[in-house]
Amino acid sequence: MELTVNGVTRAISSPPLTSLLQVLREELDVLSPKAGCQQGGCGACTVLLDGEPRRGCLVPVAAAEGHEITTVEGLGTPGDLSPIQAAFHQKYAAQCGYCTAGMLMASHALINRNGGREVQREQVIEALSGHICRCTGYVKIVDAVIAASRGDVDVEKEQGLLVAEPSEPAVEPKGAPA
Amino acid sequence: MKAVGARLPRYDGLAHTTGRTVYVDDVRVAGTLVAKALRSPHHHAAITRIDTSKAEKLPGVRAVVTAADVPKNVYGHLEALGVPADEPLLADGEVRYRGQPVAAVAAEDVETAHEAVAAIEIEYEERPALFDIRKGLDPDAPSIHQWGPVYPHFGPYNHRRVRKGDVEWAFEKADVIVEGAYRPAAIEHCPLETQIALVVPEASGRLTVYTCTQAMYFSLGVIAAHLQVPLNRVKLIGGTVGGGFGGKVDTAAETITCLLALKAHRPVKWRWTREEEFLASSTRAPWHIEIQDAVSNDGWMLGRRMLTLHDAGAYARFSPYGLTKHGFHHTGAYTIPNVHFDGFVVFTNRVPTTAMRGFGVTSVSMAVELQMTRIAETLGLSPWELRLKNANRIGDTTANRVVMQDPSTVPVTLAAAERVGERLGPEYTAMTPARRSGELLPEHLAAQQAPEGAHVLSNGGRS
Amino acid sequence: MRASDTELAMPASAAEAVEAFGDGRGVTVFAGGTILMPEITHGRYPTGGRTLMLTRAGLEGITGDGRIEIGAMTRLADVAASGVEPLASAAGDVADPEVRSQATLGGNLCAPPGAESPRGDLQAALLAAGASVRSAGAGGERTDSIDEFLGRAHSEARLVLAVELERPRRAAYLSLRRAHAHSYAVMAVACAELADGIRVAAAGVGPRAVRLAAVERALAGGAAAAQAAGAATDGVTPHDDALASAWYRSQVLPTLVTRALERLQGG
Ligand SMILES: Cc1cc2nc3c(=O)[nH]c(=O)nc-3n(C[C@H](O)[C@H](O)[C@H](O)COP(=O)(O)OP(=O)(O)OC[C@H]3O[C@@H](n4cnc5c(N)ncnc54)[C@H](O)[C@@H]3O)c2cc1C
Ligand code: FES
Ligand code: FES
Repeated sequence: MELTVNGVTRAISSPPLTSLLQVLREELDVLSPKAGCQQGGCGACTVLLDGEPRRGCLVPVAAAEGHEITTVEGLGTPGDLSPIQAAFHQKYAAQCGYCTAGMLMASHALINRNGGREVQREQVIEALSGHICRCTGYVKIVDAVIAASRGDVDVEKEQGLLVAEPSEPAVEPKGAPA
Repeated sequence: MKAVGARLPRYDGLAHTTGRTVYVDDVRVAGTLVAKALRSPHHHAAITRIDTSKAEKLPGVRAVVTAADVPKNVYGHLEALGVPADEPLLADGEVRYRGQPVAAVAAEDVETAHEAVAAIEIEYEERPALFDIRKGLDPDAPSIHQWGPVYPHFGPYNHRRVRKGDVEWAFEKADVIVEGAYRPAAIEHCPLETQIALVVPEASGRLTVYTCTQAMYFSLGVIAAHLQVPLNRVKLIGGTVGGGFGGKVDTAAETITCLLALKAHRPVKWRWTREEEFLASSTRAPWHIEIQDAVSNDGWMLGRRMLTLHDAGAYARFSPYGLTKHGFHHTGAYTIPNVHFDGFVVFTNRVPTTAMRGFGVTSVSMAVELQMTRIAETLGLSPWELRLKNANRIGDTTANRVVMQDPSTVPVTLAAAERVGERLGPEYTAMTPARRSGELLPEHLAAQQAPEGAHVLSNGGRS
Repeated sequence: MRASDTELAMPASAAEAVEAFGDGRGVTVFAGGTILMPEITHGRYPTGGRTLMLTRAGLEGITGDGRIEIGAMTRLADVAASGVEPLASAAGDVADPEVRSQATLGGNLCAPPGAESPRGDLQAALLAAGASVRSAGAGGERTDSIDEFLGRAHSEARLVLAVELERPRRAAYLSLRRAHAHSYAVMAVACAELADGIRVAAAGVGPRAVRLAAVERALAGGAAAAQAAGAATDGVTPHDDALASAWYRSQVLPTLVTRALERLQGG
């Protein structure tokens, strides 16, 4: 079988009924999706299949073949953040960070689906209803998604204060991906 | 001082939002084996037979461990502080809660590990179990712990006591006695990252332990004690935790993973499933709290009698400590001059309980605040004014005789009242935490007040 | 049994799927996998045999106007968006948007009873709607009423191809759930007005959804909603599980039925 992850197609040898999550993490070393429950209940494993959010732990890899898979690694890097990543960073939407990858993928898909308009609070709550965060209480996450949809992110300003971490690369939100 | 008062970005925010934070499950070490545990299906049972030979012979199985493999199987989390130990790392002859680990395996892959667990032959003889702390002290309660129904090592007592003043006097003097019972339930911390450890045996003989513990030095001591090795033989790498909330204070996965790694001479990772997390990781304790307050019609708290039962689950772990904190806080943010507190750590056949966000204190705060509101309702007084009147003030002494230097009850209560738009009389809005005097220093509060400048009142007996 | 040892078939059409299913012996049908995938991951997959993955069998889609046919592989998200009540409301109530984009109607209809919670919420909606189930297996293809299908011997393996139903004149669906999206419904009540009267069914009061025949009879006899709902617990035996006790279920069921009927009659 072959799997296309973040634009790169690679041959895989895991059996066909292995979960996509397991293949990503254990065979391909794509580590941003997390195994929070492996039974569909937490959302930490969420990745995009052809742009739509899916639970990595519920999709057998056989059903993922032939689809484009996107993970946080494909959204942006520390020097080149996507708006949703920049917003999560700026608005303190990640605490322990374990839920963050799943939250980011579902939010990114929501913003894209919404076609550039500002997302409403209720839409965010519905889109993230399958995602559990035990740290933040969700308020900052919802705020971050709305801010990202509005283009209201300015990481550079905050960045100047990162005095204790001179090695951190500068971050700038890049344009909204297509 | 550029950072003080500024909203700094999280130092780990960029790594979190780019998926680059390395949690224990993300550490890659070539040749790592997968661990799985055989856990008790019973709440309470004798283990009458265990035979791991078939599991050991399965192809791909690299190690199987039972109680017999642990250099020091019974070690307590507080043993270094003189609290005796009661809990085996792996069950030995008996299981006391459902989910208790009995044996563990390390195998080349997860399917083989599952098969190996299934291949362990084990027989149990079920015993009666106890779940209700209120029944633990009944004469016909099932016997579930070698120490009896409660933790017996609070100095000469089998319970934590706090005594101050003259409670008999308070209850004689009272206009009204207000009673309440409060029962906060167990809570699973449910961090998104389940318990996990990765142990790498180094060429030097040292063990490198990648851990999600919230308590590095506790865990170091616990691991070294069970393994009976000096501390410098174990190196912990941690600090990146996928949520803990107190649930990762107890050493959960690390020690058994060490045993497997030592026996297999290979790196071993043990990641608990979500089911295991709910079944076998510690929870916040359920409590049973009974309060009787002697109060006067004009809203003075003259005295309190309180009984607390704390559910330790099957083993003591940190429960005596949690209950002690609970006892220290049993008057809440208020000054009550005459108190009589008894707290018991009761054993049940539940999973052992532990810290969670204000260990021992959240339960007492919840009970005390509900009780304050109940008193106000009983007396027909404003719950705000009742709280302000009895609020801790500078120079007041707590139940365990610490002198208040800077109590915050008054400003916090006033700020809360303002937030919700509560109108208070001018004598209340003008209140400060200053030393009691005048109308706020009735006769019954005089004796508890410390002399100006004192830090601790003499103990005058054990508390 | 190792999932890695299972023989996997991925039929590319309905005919191939029926062929591969045969009499169903030793076959595990794999639809959306929202129930089966965790079983595989946790080493609890059915032992022995073959896995028939329907992902590419072309069994999805909603067709027809008066008589509607919904393919077994239709995703709950699509059922929810279909406007076919009471199925649409029931489907929209399951889990969260991501699970609904993967879970299927066939999987929900065939969901084995869960140990800790009820499953198969759409069974109640299908019962209320008087749906029929088209399936293949030993003896060939056949169409059963939903009542017959759910009531069949547990051991009889069928491959569900589609469900069919007339659009009810009116329908209502109501579930009792905890606050979080991921807690399964404690109980759900569906009712529908068909040409020959009102049908009422409940999920979460037994291993499979059941019709509330006593309520239906009372309604046919002219009883008002609350009065008819008084018979809700006749002939049902609620159970204890992780979500609620049998006692709680029997206390709440009549209220849930009353509200569902009021909703039906109100709109
Ligand atoms: C987080 C979460 C929350 C959930 N919440 C709910 C809820 O609120 N209510 C609810 O009802 N369910 C819930 N579920 C369960 C499940 O998602 C649904 O019941 C779903 O509809 C099952 O469909 P599936 O296609 O994923 O089934 P699968 O996992 O593919 O299969 C389920 C069962 O049906 C059989 N099967 C599937 N298709 C067919 C067919 N065509 N013919 C014969 N047999 C077949 C399979 O062999 C298997 O036994 C939840 C699941 C998760 C993970
Ligand atoms: S790991 Fe997939 S939903 Fe929790
Ligand atoms: S940030 Fe910790 S779970 Fe969400």
